[in-house]
Amino acid sequence: MANIVVLVKYVPDATGDRTFTSDNTVDRVGVDGLLSELDEYAVEEALKVVEAGDGEVTVLTVGPEQAADAVRKALQIGAHKGVHVLDDAIAGSDAAATSLVLAKAIEKIADYDIVMTGLASTDGAMSVVPAMLAERLGLPQLTFASELTIEGDTIRIRRDGDAATETIEASGKMVVSVTDQINEPRYPSFKGIMAAKKKPVETWSIADLGIEASQVGTAAAWTKVLSFEPRPPRTAGEIVTDEGDGGTKLAEYLASKKFV
Amino acid sequence: MTTPTPYTESRERGELRQAVAELAGTFGRAYFLRKARDGEKTTELWSEVGKNGYLGVAVPEEHGGGGGGIGDLAVVCEELAAAGCPLLMMVVSPAICGTIITRFGTPAQQAHWLPGFADGTTTMAFSITEPDAGSNSHRITTTARRDGDAWVLSGGKTYISGVDEASHVLVVAKTEQAASGRLQPALFIVPTDAPGFTAQPIEMDVVSPEKQFTLFFDDVRLPADALVGREDAGLAQLFAGLNPERIMAAAFAVGTARFALRAAAAYAKEREVWGMPIGAHQAVAHPLAQSYIETELASLMTQKAAALYDAGDDEAAAEAANMAKYAAAEAAVDAVDRAVQTHGGNGLASEYGLGSMIASSRLSRIAPVSREMILNFVAQSSLGLPRSY
Ligand SMILES: Cc1cc2nc3c(=O)[nH]c(=O)nc-3n(C[C@H](O)[C@H](O)[C@H](O)COP(=O)(O)OP(=O)(O)OC[C@H]3O[C@@H](n4cnc5c(N)ncnc54)[C@H](O)[C@@H]3O)c2cc1C
Repeated sequence: MANIVVLVKYVPDATGDRTFTSDNTVDRVGVDGLLSELDEYAVEEALKVVEAGDGEVTVLTVGPEQAADAVRKALQIGAHKGVHVLDDAIAGSDAAATSLVLAKAIEKIADYDIVMTGLASTDGAMSVVPAMLAERLGLPQLTFASELTIEGDTIRIRRDGDAATETIEASGKMVVSVTDQINEPRYPSFKGIMAAKKKPVETWSIADLGIEASQVGTAAAWTKVLSFEPRPPRTAGEIVTDEGDGGTKLAEYLASKKFV
Repeated sequence: MTTPTPYTESRERGELRQAVAELAGTFGRAYFLRKARDGEKTTELWSEVGKNGYLGVAVPEEHGGGGGGIGDLAVVCEELAAAGCPLLMMVVSPAICGTIITRFGTPAQQAHWLPGFADGTTTMAFSITEPDAGSNSHRITTTARRDGDAWVLSGGKTYISGVDEASHVLVVAKTEQAASGRLQPALFIVPTDAPGFTAQPIEMDVVSPEKQFTLFFDDVRLPADALVGREDAGLAQLFAGLNPERIMAAAFAVGTARFALRAAAAYAKEREVWGMPIGAHQAVAHPLAQSYIETELASLMTQKAAALYDAGDDEAAAEAANMAKYAAAEAAVDAVDRAVQTHGGNGLASEYGLGSMIASSRLSRIAPVSREMILNFVAQSSLGLPRSY
């Protein structure tokens, strides 16, 4: 028996243009968005776990109104119910504040065994929320799982590092983050799409979670983006014509850029 | 979040579109052409689409399907074509055969066949066309005669798609009415490995993984339950299959047009020969804009036809389905033509995959019912003009 809470994030579509709002945060309202691709692996893994045993998958998102789409997508894929923390005060929150909201929401969900997350969000890409969350909830964390096995209430994961492959395990309640190597996420079936309409989704404000507006949002952020500018357009590369000295020229170029 | 109006699709249908488009995107044009040119089938694509339930969206839920309508199935067909990897057998297997068995099959036939249509594990070809009775299907001569409880089928068919991929063919034959002695159509499910059944491939100049066949039925013996539903329901069964067939053919063509237009627009934005993108020349831009309009109009009529059909109004659906099929075929043929022209020499290069579409897009204008036969139908039944043939 494992009830799993999966964190899902609504992110701007990476194939579209990204823009920023006047307070220098990513514009999440005016752009097309979707369920962060990396979270699909977490939803898939959670579904595999409950399908192999039993239990329910609850997906949790913190985000603007459109973030409901991320919840819907997860419900279409097969998650059982959703929670959406929606509050204007949350806009502009940094990872620390986001983890606070998530932790309070998870405590309110209460009936869970595992919190599962992706390895990072495809927009922020910091990978810190799972660790912060584990800290706030006082739970062990198994991060960057590229393989996961369950025995009783013990979970064992494989974490592939550059230098070594670690096998780590923990028991009881825990936070697990999974990589994009762990599985092949499924597509929502037509039945799944239709069934998602009837699945329960609760919407909570920060007041419902006992959080003050001053604890979240831009004002509470530990860092502040002062300015930004778009990456300059790519310039044409330098073409080395091989006149017998191609290798030397390549080596010179790499040396000039301090690659060799 | 927009509220659907009668002129936009439901949110769920939009999401189905998106899911199929995403899956189709992982296959794409290059995969399709490689398979077709190597003489292989797009089996992986078919199974993947089937596994996710997309081939069975219109099969009733109690038989393992999605419980949706032909409008949902059409969206699946369109998105695959729009990604450059159409599945021709969708028009035949789930849309024609699946519909006829769903609406007219005996409970035993439904229980036996529909789960396979739901997950795509069953592929059934459909055969009506005969060498001497093309557009005039009243003239078919394939007959089934009773022999005790069994049936004996003799005759032949031509231009039948995908027989090599199908375990069975739904054959339109004629039977002799016991009372009047008149010949009436009746439909039979015929195994492709039955003794006396021969399929000969027809050499085609179309790049497609699906092949066409001429079929010979040499006293093929069939069990009693090979007859779909009742013997006297053949005509009603045929009519039931016509609208889905046309709606699917229209969706297939709309998808084809969208694929060609997307390629053309992308190319016209990039290609520069006079210091500006060729798309800046109206001679290039206007035909593409026109094609876009024609495609959108065809798509709208396809949706209308599907909505009428799914609402149970077969008669109103017939006019819309025919017009959708006509408009979509014209849009596809023109869009491909214009996309090729936009690409200049590259339009005919294998790498761009458009040249092969010149022939394949013409299929929409010929089959399953030709442009001329639709114009005959509209002239006669919509305008009340005299019957011309
Ligand atoms: C790739 C491909 C796949 C096919 N797959 C299948 C399949 O799976 N199953 C199946 O049963 N059939 C299939 N067909 C057959 C298809 O449905 C027929 O080709 C089509 O119905 C036209 O019939 P025909 O080829 O005999 O042309 P004909 O009937 O000989 O017509 C030739 C031309 O004359 C015109 N014409 C004929 N009669 C009239 C009239 N009264 N008024 C005006 N013009 C007229 C037609 O419009 C056409 O332009 C397929 C065909 C192709 C090309």
